[in-house]
Amino acid sequence: MRLFEALVVIIAMCVPFVAMKSSDLTAYIYWTLVSAAYLIFIALRRW
Amino acid sequence: MFIYALILYLIIGTAIAFFATKRISTDEEYFIAGRRVGGIISALTYAATTYSAFMMIGLVGLTYLSGVGALGFELFYLVGTLMLLSYYAPKIWKMSKEKGLVTPGDLFTVRYGPRVAKVLAVVVALALIPYTSLQFVGISLLLSREIDFASGIIFSAIITALWAFLGGMRSVAWTDAISGVFMMFMAILPIFYAFQMLPDRDFSKLGELLYVPNSFWRYDVFIAYTLPWFFFALTNPQVVQRIFIPKDIKSLKRMVILFGFYGLFYTVFVTFIGLQLRLLTEYGVFPRISDRDLVMPKFLELLPPWLSVLVALSIFAAAITTADSIVLTLSSMFTRDLLNNRSVLAGRILVVLTTVAIAVFAIQRPAYIVDLAVMSSTILLCQLPLILGIFHWNFGKEFSAIVTLITGFSIAIFLYYTKLTLGIPIPVWVLIFSFAVFFLSAEIEKRFIVHT
Repeated sequence: MRLFEALVVIIAMCVPFVAMKSSDLTAYIYWTLVSAAYLIFIALRRW
Repeated sequence: MFIYALILYLIIGTAIAFFATKRISTDEEYFIAGRRVGGIISALTYAATTYSAFMMIGLVGLTYLSGVGALGFELFYLVGTLMLLSYYAPKIWKMSKEKGLVTPGDLFTVRYGPRVAKVLAVVVALALIPYTSLQFVGISLLLSREIDFASGIIFSAIITALWAFLGGMRSVAWTDAISGVFMMFMAILPIFYAFQMLPDRDFSKLGELLYVPNSFWRYDVFIAYTLPWFFFALTNPQVVQRIFIPKDIKSLKRMVILFGFYGLFYTVFVTFIGLQLRLLTEYGVFPRISDRDLVMPKFLELLPPWLSVLVALSIFAAAITTADSIVLTLSSMFTRDLLNNRSVLAGRILVVLTTVAIAVFAIQRPAYIVDLAVMSSTILLCQLPLILGIFHWNFGKEFSAIVTLITGFSIAIFLYYTKLTLGIPIPVWVLIFSFAVFFLSAEIEKRFIVHT
């Protein structure tokens, strides 16, 4: 389960390398949101 | 004006350190504050220890030079840390409480024996003394208008040693907490100032800096930057020791979550300053700077004097809080693990001696100091198989642990100086070698070495 969780988060963090080539702040906002979502997941679901 | 602000900061910090000197009778009190620290202070000391002057100088410059990939690199560190802490921190905290662990080396002693903790203390010192001396060099450069380089190093050393010497972990944690809050505010204010300097907000002018991979963030570069930091929470002793300090499991969990929020906001703010400054350059408002470490100092010159002083002071605070945390952790490892001594006096003497060693290293300003500092997290990766072994594997004892530490350390240094990497990032090699050597030597140990 933890391995699956780690895999999902790492793949999600790698998405800008393959799917975001726009000349705006998309990658910046995406990385911030994924990190925030994981932090909230740990705060609310894990503990 | 900077000197007056600095003096005020030092008076407040030293008063806190004096206040924290009460109730220190054992080395457990001195090195880990008697395991009685609340969640908020634990989170702030974890953050201030982790986030050094690198953030406001190095990361702003890296973002300016390379774009959003710098945020990706730093947030990869953060999610890695959250992942590792949410799983391992409760286990480490529980073990530290049950077995009375005080130093990160004690974790290794429990599983691999005391000699491994001694080797670890040497490896960690070789990795962290150059890194910490770089904090002193940074402070000295920050104070270069006021005092000469050598005086700046001595001044940094005195403050670092004093705060750690007086109250140990308690004073370091409290001064870290105050500094951590201050650092956060001083990352926010420059954003507003840079924002109002922008004639327009057309970020598309940044071109390839807005995506990855680009000419800087190639895949191999991203891995080389990210991998050592991803495991930072388990491999850097100054943060591992902070897992021992929360007073209960609830405080530990609060520490992890609050640190996560701190790290997320601080990283976003700092990298956004870098992006804004690059956009200002594209608009011709801010000069084009090729040396990334000079981006923030140049920006400080453009800020109103009061704000420039406060931001510079926050960089000073970031450097000191990282340095005194590392000094305290190193001295705990030297005192307990290397010398087998349990007295507070010995701990205090080692705080002074460790700081002197760092200052002497810094004052020489050797050319390889930056290389070694950059290498520090990569060198420390050689501990990873041992740490995972504590929780997941039964095989591997003293022999395998010592061979792994020495081999991993040697490989890191060898590859860094020879560059014989075959295009594969050095941290990947260090991890492959460390794990391979650990598994292989564990098999040899099982077959041929009898432990009494």
